[in-house]
Amino acid sequence: MVIDLLKECLKKSRGYGELRYHKRDTFTVSLKDGKIDVLNSGIIEGACARVLKDGSWGFSSTTMLEKDKIDKILEDAASLAKASKSKKKRSVKLASVKPHVDKYETPMKIDPRKTGREEFVRLIIDVDKNVRGFSKNIVSDTVTFNIVDDELAFLSSEGAEILQRIVRCFGNVMVIAREKGNIASAYESIGAQSGLEVLEKTPLINVGMTAAERASKLVSAKVAPAGLFPVILENRIVGLLAHEAVGHCSEADLVYSGSFLADKIGKEVASEKVTLVDDGRYLNGFGTMKYDDEGVSTQKTAIIAKGICQSFLHSRETAQHFGVNPTGNARAWNFEFDPIIRMRNTYIETGDYSMEDLVEDMKEGFFLKGGLSGQADFTGEFMFGTQEAIKIEKGKLTESLRGVTISGNAFEVLKNVDAIGKDFVMRIGMCGKEQINYVGMGGASLRTNVLMGGTK
Amino acid sequence: MSLAELTRSAIKYSEKIGVDEVEAFAQSLQIIEIVLERAEIQSERVKTQCGIGIRIIKDKKLGFAFTSALSKSRIEESCRNAKSLANVSISNPDWVSLPTPAKLPKPPSGIYDEETASMGGDEVLNLAKQAYDAAKGYDKRVDIDDGKFSVILNDVAISNSHGVEAEEKTTLLEGFLICMAKEHGETSSMAFEYEITRAIRDFSSERIGRIAAEKALASLKPKAVRSFVGKVILDSDPAATVLIQPIISSVNADNAQRGRSLWAGKHGEEVASQKLTITDDGLFPKGIGSSSFDFEGVPHQKTPVITHGKLQSFLHNSFTGNKEGKKSTGNAYRDGYNMPPSIFASNLIVEAGKKRLEEMISETDKGVIVRRFSGNVRPESGEFSGIAKQANYIEKGEVKYPLKETMVSGNVFQAIMNIVEIGSETRPTFLASYVPPIMIAKINIISK
Repeated sequence: MVIDLLKECLKKSRGYGELRYHKRDTFTVSLKDGKIDVLNSGIIEGACARVLKDGSWGFSSTTMLEKDKIDKILEDAASLAKASKSKKKRSVKLASVKPHVDKYETPMKIDPRKTGREEFVRLIIDVDKNVRGFSKNIVSDTVTFNIVDDELAFLSSEGAEILQRIVRCFGNVMVIAREKGNIASAYESIGAQSGLEVLEKTPLINVGMTAAERASKLVSAKVAPAGLFPVILENRIVGLLAHEAVGHCSEADLVYSGSFLADKIGKEVASEKVTLVDDGRYLNGFGTMKYDDEGVSTQKTAIIAKGICQSFLHSRETAQHFGVNPTGNARAWNFEFDPIIRMRNTYIETGDYSMEDLVEDMKEGFFLKGGLSGQADFTGEFMFGTQEAIKIEKGKLTESLRGVTISGNAFEVLKNVDAIGKDFVMRIGMCGKEQINYVGMGGASLRTNVLMGGTK
Repeated sequence: MSLAELTRSAIKYSEKIGVDEVEAFAQSLQIIEIVLERAEIQSERVKTQCGIGIRIIKDKKLGFAFTSALSKSRIEESCRNAKSLANVSISNPDWVSLPTPAKLPKPPSGIYDEETASMGGDEVLNLAKQAYDAAKGYDKRVDIDDGKFSVILNDVAISNSHGVEAEEKTTLLEGFLICMAKEHGETSSMAFEYEITRAIRDFSSERIGRIAAEKALASLKPKAVRSFVGKVILDSDPAATVLIQPIISSVNADNAQRGRSLWAGKHGEEVASQKLTITDDGLFPKGIGSSSFDFEGVPHQKTPVITHGKLQSFLHNSFTGNKEGKKSTGNAYRDGYNMPPSIFASNLIVEAGKKRLEEMISETDKGVIVRRFSGNVRPESGEFSGIAKQANYIEKGEVKYPLKETMVSGNVFQAIMNIVEIGSETRPTFLASYVPPIMIAKINIISK
C-alpha cells in the first residue's frame, strides 16, 4: 500500500529522484545478573526522498506516510538541491545501472515473527545461569538478544522498484569477574543475517562461556607488555583488521580525499598471501543485501587480490567519477539518512595453516584474542582493542595476559603476514562512519607484527 | 496534540487496559545538519525524529514499547505491546516504583535560545562554510577531510501514573571539523576540533576551523621518540575519553550495586588525588546536559561526586535509588525515546585548576601532550591504551616535535591518583562533561 503511494508521488518528480521506505521492527531482551531488565520492542517507520538537480543532491525525510507529506519531501529535496548547488564544487553524475524490479528476503528457516517472545526469555535465562555458575569470581553479567527486522523499499524515477526484507538476529554476553580488589571484563557476541537458526549454528551459550572463562582467568592476570611484537591475530579479530585498517581506505569517497590506496590500483600493497574482499552477497553476512540503497545490485568486490590492490568500493556517483561500474556499496542507516559508501562483509580469504602450525613456528610473541572497538585514519594507521594476549614462547602457548590496544600501519601489517590459518569465521560488527551501520567482518587467524600498547 | 498531551493520553489509556504503573516518554528532535565530506558539502538534512516510549509495570514485570508514529492508534498499540511484553516477562524483585511527583526547579538559564531555534538550513550551511574558510584560509597546506554542523531543537515530555508531569524545550548546536595538513607528499595525522553550545551567540565556527588547521599543521613532520614512562598532558577531549569515562562508569550506582565498579562500598574514601573535585550539576547555566528534570521526570540537582579526591556520591536513577532506599540523584538517562532509562551524568564538571595550558607545558621538563586519543578504555578496570594522535613531545618546557606512531597506556584509577596538575581552561566535551586539560604521571609512552 505504501509502495503504491510512493509510486504515485514519484511520477510527478522531474529529473532523477528516488524514494525509499523503511520500517524497522526491533525486539530486545536483556538480563542483568539473572534479573530481566526489560523486554523492549518497537517500530520506527518513515520515508525519504533524494533528488538530483543540475548535479546537486537534495535529501528530505518524514515519519508521516501520507500523500501530501511524501509530495512535500520530494519538493523539499528538490529545493535543497537547488539551494545548495552554488555552494558545491562538484557536479554529480551517476553511473548508469539497470533499474531492477525485484524482491528479496533474508533466507530463513525459523522466521522470528512466528516465535513467541517468552521463548527468548527462556533462552537468555539459561545462558545467564551457566555464565554466572562458571566460577565463584564472576560477579556480574549482562545477556542480551536482539532481533531487527527491516522492510525496505527503493523506487527510482528510472523505474527501479525493489522490495527487501532483511532480518538480523544477534546477541551478546558481557561478564565481570572480581577477585582481591581486581576487576576484569570480557565480551563476546554472535549473530547473522538469518532467522533464529543462528542460535542453533552458533549458540549464545558458547560465546557466553568463552567470555566467562576469559573474565575469570584474566582477573588475576597482568597487563600485556608494550612494544612491537610478532603476533597471531585470532580469526575473530582478523575481520577488524580487514575492516578498520584496509576497508576504509578503499571506500571511494576516502580515496577521493587521498587515502593510502588512492594511487595504488595494480600495485602491491600486501603480502601475496593476502586476498581481501568486500562481499555484498555473503550468505548470512551481517552486511548482506541483494541491492544497496541506490538500487544497485551488490557483488563481491576484491579490494586486494594476492597482495595487489584491485578495486575500490563505489556508489553510483563515485563509480561515474572513477569511470568504473558501481559496486553496490551505497548504504543508509535508516530513512533519516542519505546513502554513503559503506562496507558490507569485509574479509581476508582463508589460508591453509592449522593453529598448531601458526604457533609452532613462533619463537616469541603473542596470540591476541577477543576484539574491542577500532578506528583508522585514511593513511592506513589503525588501532583496535584486544581482550586477551596469550604469550607464545618457543612455539608454545604459555601465560594469559590482559589484552591491550594494538596499532600499526595496515599495509605494513599486511606485508608482514607470513601465514594464514584455515579457521575462517564471519562475525558481526557495527561501523560508525558519519552514520552507523551493520557490517560483517571475517577472516582466519593470521601471523604478523603489531605495536602493542601495553605496560613498560 | 502537544507531546505532553500525547504522554498524558498514553497514561490514561494504559490505566484503562489494566497495569500497575505506566510511564510515557515522548521526544521530538528537529534537526538541521550539514555534512562535509571530501572537502565539500556532501549532505544537507532537515529531519524530525519523534516518537514515544511506554514503560509498563505489572506485578513487578517490566515491558517497554515504542513507536515513531505519534497517532492515537499507534500509541495505543504500543501501550498494548508494552503490556503484553510485561505479561511474558519475569518479575524483578528489585522493582519498587516509578518516581512520584516532586516540585521541579526553575529551568536552568540559557538552555533554550529562540535565535538558535529559529535557524534555517542556510544559516547552518553558513556555519559550515565559516569553519571551512577559516581552516582553508589559515594555511594552504591544510585540507579538510570531513565535518558536520547541526542545530537541534529538542522537546521532551514525560508523564507517569503517579502524577509526574514534565515538559521542556532545549536547543543545541554542535559542530566539528577533521583536517589534515599535506607537505612534500606527506600527510599529517587527522586533527579534530569541535564546539558544543546551547546558543548561536556562544558558537564560533571560525574557531573550529582555525584550531583544527593549527592542530593539523602542528603534527607535520613527526618523529619517533624512544619509549619512556612519564608525564602526559591530556587536552580536554582526550581527558574526557580516557579519565572521565571510567569515572562516570564507576560512580554509576547500577554498576556499583552490581559489583561492576571498583568504587563500590568506597563512599568517603580517597579514590583520586586531592586536586580532583567533580560535581554533577544538571542545573548548570547554559549546560549542554542541563534541564529542570532528568529522563524520568525527577528534578535535576547538584551532586558532589568527588571532593578533593574523596568519593562523595554515586549517581542514581529511581530504580537504583529505590533499591538502596535512597532518593534518585536525577541521573536517569535515555539515548532516545526507544530506550528505557539507564544512568548517566548530566553535566559532570571537573573543577578547574589555576594554570593555563601554556604554563603547564612550560613547567614540564619531559613529557607528551595528547590532543586526540584513538584507543580503548576499559571502564571497569580502568586500563587504557591507544594511539596518541595529535601528540607532541615536550622537553625543557617547550613543545619540540609531533610524535610518530606513538601509543600511550596506563590505568585510569592509578593515573587519577597521580594527577600532577589540572588546567584552568575548562570546556564542554561530547561526554556530558566539562573538562580542563589534565596532566598525569607515570604513563607508558610507547613507540616501535
